[in-house]
Amino acid sequence: MLIFTLRRLSLFVFTLLLLTLLSFSLSFLFPGDQVTNISGQLNASPEHLEMVAAQYGKHESIFIQYWRYLTHLFQGDFGISMASQLPISEEVLNHLPATIELSSVALLIAMLVGIPIGFIAAIHHRKVTDNIILSFAMIGYSIPIFWLGLLAILIFSIQLGWLPSAGQISLVYEIEQRTGFQFFDILLSDSPYKWQAFQNASAHILLPACVVALAPATIFIRLARTAMLNVLETHYIKAAMAKGLNYRQIIFRHGIRNSLVGVIRDVGLQFANLVTLAMVTEVIFSWPGIGSWLIESIYQRDYTAIQGGLLALSSFIFIVHILTDFIYASLNPLAREVHHGSR
Amino acid sequence: MARDKIYLEEEFPSPLLQLWHNFRHSPVVMIGFGCFIFLCVLAIFSPIISPYSPINNHLDHLLLPPAWHEDGDVSFLLGTDNLGRDMLSRLMHGASLTFGLSFVVVIISLVVGVFIGSLSALTKGLKSSFLNHFLDVILSIPSLLLAIVIVAILGPGLNNTLWAIVMVLIPQFIHITRNAVEEEFQKDYVLASRLDGASSIRILSYSIFPNIIEKLISQATLAQSAAILDIATLGFLGLGAPIPMPEWGAMLANGIDLFYIAPWTVYLPGLAILFSVVATNLVGEGMRHAIKQRKVN
Repeated sequence: MLIFTLRRLSLFVFTLLLLTLLSFSLSFLFPGDQVTNISGQLNASPEHLEMVAAQYGKHESIFIQYWRYLTHLFQGDFGISMASQLPISEEVLNHLPATIELSSVALLIAMLVGIPIGFIAAIHHRKVTDNIILSFAMIGYSIPIFWLGLLAILIFSIQLGWLPSAGQISLVYEIEQRTGFQFFDILLSDSPYKWQAFQNASAHILLPACVVALAPATIFIRLARTAMLNVLETHYIKAAMAKGLNYRQIIFRHGIRNSLVGVIRDVGLQFANLVTLAMVTEVIFSWPGIGSWLIESIYQRDYTAIQGGLLALSSFIFIVHILTDFIYASLNPLAREVHHGSR
Repeated sequence: MARDKIYLEEEFPSPLLQLWHNFRHSPVVMIGFGCFIFLCVLAIFSPIISPYSPINNHLDHLLLPPAWHEDGDVSFLLGTDNLGRDMLSRLMHGASLTFGLSFVVVIISLVVGVFIGSLSALTKGLKSSFLNHFLDVILSIPSLLLAIVIVAILGPGLNNTLWAIVMVLIPQFIHITRNAVEEEFQKDYVLASRLDGASSIRILSYSIFPNIIEKLISQATLAQSAAILDIATLGFLGLGAPIPMPEWGAMLANGIDLFYIAPWTVYLPGLAILFSVVATNLVGEGMRHAIKQRKVN
């Protein structure tokens, strides 16, 4: 396990280095002057520009420039946003927690709904139930997310009036920011209306999270179905049958546990897809996350913000990948030995 | 009477033909394939068969509901939008923008990806390993984020989003081509032609490509459904096709403000996107099923 961890971590560092290389090369590709982009000021004085250029080593060779860029990143300095004049790192820290909240709730919903349905489909393999579930999965997978979001707002917020349609929490509640995560902040705060605020925030997250969750849930349905079908064909299931266990016992004692291991491996891979969906959903539901912030930055041609956002969001996804790899490896001893981290 | 075949000769259809034989057995898949062909025809001939021009305003018929509604007019079958443009003609033209362009995008990235992928399958060592990891990095960045970054570099507009989506799709094709080529290279028939003295390029073009083309096509259908959704999403976000263009995503964005009074301006483009993505996915699903069956036989 130690060797596995070390291999995984070295791969992670290598991946992050490649990512910074990508982001570094972007600063040459973006339109406009590089130094002006980093400085974050449209009409900066020549002295200020000269200072920024010297800091980033713009007069020296490209390797030194990359090195300077890396050191700036390690100090947590991502540059200054042109639109808000705030440091990018602060903007990212303000927006990323909302996205993490939205996508983890969505992931939770997708797994809790998708995986059991997938198992049901596998148990009724090639029967009417299976076909209905599969066609539902096909439609759910193909539906354009922005359209689904609009329909959800129209039905659940406007016509039925059950759930709020925009924002993270009602403006009535004043919550002091401590961790940046809305739910933790509410629980940590000492406001007398803590539980009302908590309920209100839950009502706000429910609709966007369900919209984000639909497509990943359909993918989980298929993954769980294939995993369960594979498990049901193995020899130990046959042995269990020969032992005289009935079908229900086989599914609950052997089937579900062993197929869950296979599904968990793919959760990480689905996460990039889920974040894409979350970005669009944030725009529709005016969710103050990093996706809507990034899209806003494009309208404002805030290139440093796009660069920083790309770095932050991608490293977040890599961290999730690595976490799921570790969880998978700790659940499944076979994975630790055969493939290593390198592939 | 001349007889063509005197001897009973056993025929081996090409992999593509075998795929087709397996493919056409499922009725659902054939319906999807029919819809796919229908969309292709619509994408090519939409300027000829659409009743009106997509940008022509009918100022005395603003926000007309579809014909089945009691206020509808049968000469505007699917109603009109806020500027009196005929929805049916706009949707038809949108087929050539959203669906047709996604087709073009996939073909371009398929060609580039297969070229790079097969080259990288022939190289070994550090270069190949670097490419491998670099691809892994790019593949794990969300596709929309990557497209947004490329749009930021090139500037908004329909052409630039198309290039962005091409570049987003290329890594998948490189990945799948390289894996498929490497897998084929292990097989005995490749060894046989190598013993005959064939060069790597010759093996690639005569032995390997005919055997992996089905995998590539099935990946292409997956990529196309992603491309349709990406074009529409970027259009919806205002980064792709500009609003007057009848691109489905941009049409939907145009209709949002009128969602409550004229819901058909939002329902119809969304349904069109859903329809085309489902048709593409059905074709892809049928293809993968047929490949699996061929492997079993």
